[in-house]
Amino acid sequence: MALIAFQILLRRLLLAAPIVLCVSALVFVVLRLLPADAVAMSLPPGATAADYDRLKAELGLDRSIFAQYMIWLGRFAAGDLGASIHFRRPVAELVGTALPNTLELVAVGLVLGVAAGVAGGLAMFAWRGRAAEQVADLAATALMSIPEFLWALLLILGLGVALPLLPFVGRLAPEFALPPHITGFLLLDSLLAGRAATLGSALLHLVLPSLALAIALAPLIMRVLRSSLLEVILDDYVTQARLRGIPERTILLRHALRNAALPTVSLIGVQAGFMFGGTVLVEVIFGYPGLGNLMVDAVRNHDLPVIQVVALVYCLLVLGINAVVDVLYLLINPKLRAA
Amino acid sequence: MTQMLDRRSVLAGGAAALMAMGVSREVLAQAAAAGQLTLSFPADVPTWDPNARSLAAVQSLYKMVFDQPLDQATDMKAQAALVTAWRYLDAGGLSLELTFRDDVLFHDGSRMTAEDFRYSFFERPRAPVPDGGRRLDTAFLWRRIRDIEVTSPTRAVVQFSEPMPSAIAWLYFLCSYVVPKAYLERVGLDEFQRRPIGTGPYRLTEYQQGSRITLEAFDRYWGGRPAIPRITVDIVRDPTARVASVEARRAHVAVDVPIREAVRLGTVRGLAARIDLTADIMLLQITRNGGFERDQVRLAAHHAINKDAISRAFFQGHALPISVPAARGTPGYPENFSFPFSEERAVALLREVGHGPDRPVRIKFFTTNGVFPNDFDMARAIGQMWRRVGIEADIESIELSTYQERLRANTLPEATMFNWGNAAGDPEMYGGYLLDPRAIFSAFKAEEYRDRIAALLIEPDEAKRFEGYRALHRDAVEKGYSIPLLQSVRTVVHQASVNYVKYDNGWALPQAWSFRPA
Repeated sequence: MALIAFQILLRRLLLAAPIVLCVSALVFVVLRLLPADAVAMSLPPGATAADYDRLKAELGLDRSIFAQYMIWLGRFAAGDLGASIHFRRPVAELVGTALPNTLELVAVGLVLGVAAGVAGGLAMFAWRGRAAEQVADLAATALMSIPEFLWALLLILGLGVALPLLPFVGRLAPEFALPPHITGFLLLDSLLAGRAATLGSALLHLVLPSLALAIALAPLIMRVLRSSLLEVILDDYVTQARLRGIPERTILLRHALRNAALPTVSLIGVQAGFMFGGTVLVEVIFGYPGLGNLMVDAVRNHDLPVIQVVALVYCLLVLGINAVVDVLYLLINPKLRAA
Repeated sequence: MTQMLDRRSVLAGGAAALMAMGVSREVLAQAAAAGQLTLSFPADVPTWDPNARSLAAVQSLYKMVFDQPLDQATDMKAQAALVTAWRYLDAGGLSLELTFRDDVLFHDGSRMTAEDFRYSFFERPRAPVPDGGRRLDTAFLWRRIRDIEVTSPTRAVVQFSEPMPSAIAWLYFLCSYVVPKAYLERVGLDEFQRRPIGTGPYRLTEYQQGSRITLEAFDRYWGGRPAIPRITVDIVRDPTARVASVEARRAHVAVDVPIREAVRLGTVRGLAARIDLTADIMLLQITRNGGFERDQVRLAAHHAINKDAISRAFFQGHALPISVPAARGTPGYPENFSFPFSEERAVALLREVGHGPDRPVRIKFFTTNGVFPNDFDMARAIGQMWRRVGIEADIESIELSTYQERLRANTLPEATMFNWGNAAGDPEMYGGYLLDPRAIFSAFKAEEYRDRIAALLIEPDEAKRFEGYRALHRDAVEKGYSIPLLQSVRTVVHQASVNYVKYDNGWALPQAWSFRPA
């Protein structure tokens, strides 16, 4: 099975190359066709038209879009992601610092969302036909109808201000210094450096932003899982299991849940991609130093090299998630292994 | 060398976590007792090279770590800093002699001399730009420097290729900071950006891009050690989160909160709120395009705006209406001039060109939304005011980058809502740039001002220069070349335990603050 999983990942990787190329070309062209001016954005007061022209030439923006793209592509292939116009630093360094933060946020958000969603789905299934199911269904609808950024604000006002229980700005309390840079992942670096207090502070700072992301995911999982369970529970193998005297709880958790998980995994894969999109506003609201925050800064300043690379990173993340979902499918569904 | 968690550290972490979950008010009080201040700030530095970018919004951050040759007092007047004395050596304003302090140290303990000044203001801006690199903004701003002659460690003479009468103001404006020559040459730019050192009141101890800046008071600061030993700047771009951070007592000071929230928080026990005027101005960048081709229409548009009403509606009356494109009290503001709000006059002017409420002039009106306080709301209010006299504005929300593109291409529509920053208050940085047809930041290209402004840009006599700008500003408004609106405000909410010091130019400088005794 490991070989099949490897083959799937390899196939995905090969397919990803042309997709990344297309996305890079699309983003590159669209950014340059937008009526926005990166050069004028970065000139100081009193600059003249001659200053403008000189800077435009320095940035290579006076050439045709095709020529610019070919230069960018050549450098990209050589591992040079360029330099930020706004930050005046290598894009690779900026993205390299921000990406682990976003990955941690999404990972914790996913864990919370999936845990709450699966628990909720199982509860709704258990309450089927009862008033509690209707109440849970109504609650799920209400949770879904509020976007992440609004949840972020509500959580800040509720658990940050009204009940000042949790921190909501940045990644660490002021009294804690960053641990030594080992992996770039704050939680992991705190753990590796043996700084439990820093780890505790980092975890606390993750609660509200990841909750804001998780709340959008959990109700979807709840509903899909409940529907899938309602379907599989009518299948013959469940009836057979009951006839063999297997307890209902075991049938649910060991047999039905495994088969009902396929659409749920598929949904999680799709939603994980959306979750990266959701981090943009959530990171801004919580002052969280991730990819979303970087993207907002880059867009505000029309920082073309940063927007280009961050967009590609998002694309790669989504492709990566799809590959992981394919492998999970394989693990869960034996029929696919045979195929 | 890394180590995994042991039981003791887990217990310590748990205790810390419980403490962090405790009532934040107490946590903040404990932090204050330990000399730790948390500032919730809306912007981050793009780079820790202070000469690289001229961004007004982050000057307060740079000024914690770096020093400028001159400084501004709380009332905006120029005052000595690294430079203790300055004078022109010739009547033509081509040689400026600067005398430096001899007791200034960089954060690494090395002494700052006139050589560092020469490096920062002449050598660095003129250095060849590496492939893929970018020219420093100081290269644009100080291009009139022909050479800097260092006559001793505490004395330098700046030689200009042509007079630069605003040079004194530029010595305390935007990216004019002194950086350490020896350190920068030794470690290189990348390392300097990671571990910047300056001569400022605080040392940078930690930096998380877009999130947090941690600073520690520099014991050997030439101006004396700041009263607050440690500063944490939380970068919080969302205004609601900034309000929440100070309200939840997780920040001692929050800067640029919405006006209504500032007023509300001002009534909360233990908090104090300020709504202070700054030297920045809000104005309409106008053109001669489309419906604004005729002078009468632009003048009518100006007369029809009730600036007092806008200030009351959106700024609780704190933003001061201005009649020319300069802040009140600055040298470029003619105090005896007033441009009146008059719907009757607006209607009469429009009637002269065949328009009125029944036959309105149609114009396009750009505005940003959220770039500065109430920009979009003000545009809508002005649109309503214009409609009453016969100007129908089609309001469109745009990004700042779109504004820059259209400005450069000279394709801006009739009017655009804009905020113009000028902490120095020098009139050159108001009308000198806004009205100069050669400057890329000027929207209204009045060719008749080309020579007039060119002469002012090199006028060495300060009195004549200021008088010239006052006349220019007034002339531009009377001819309908400029529609200034209001003087900007800065809102600050802070814990009552903080002694906040207000700067008229809008700076928020923790080195000037202190904690009140408990």
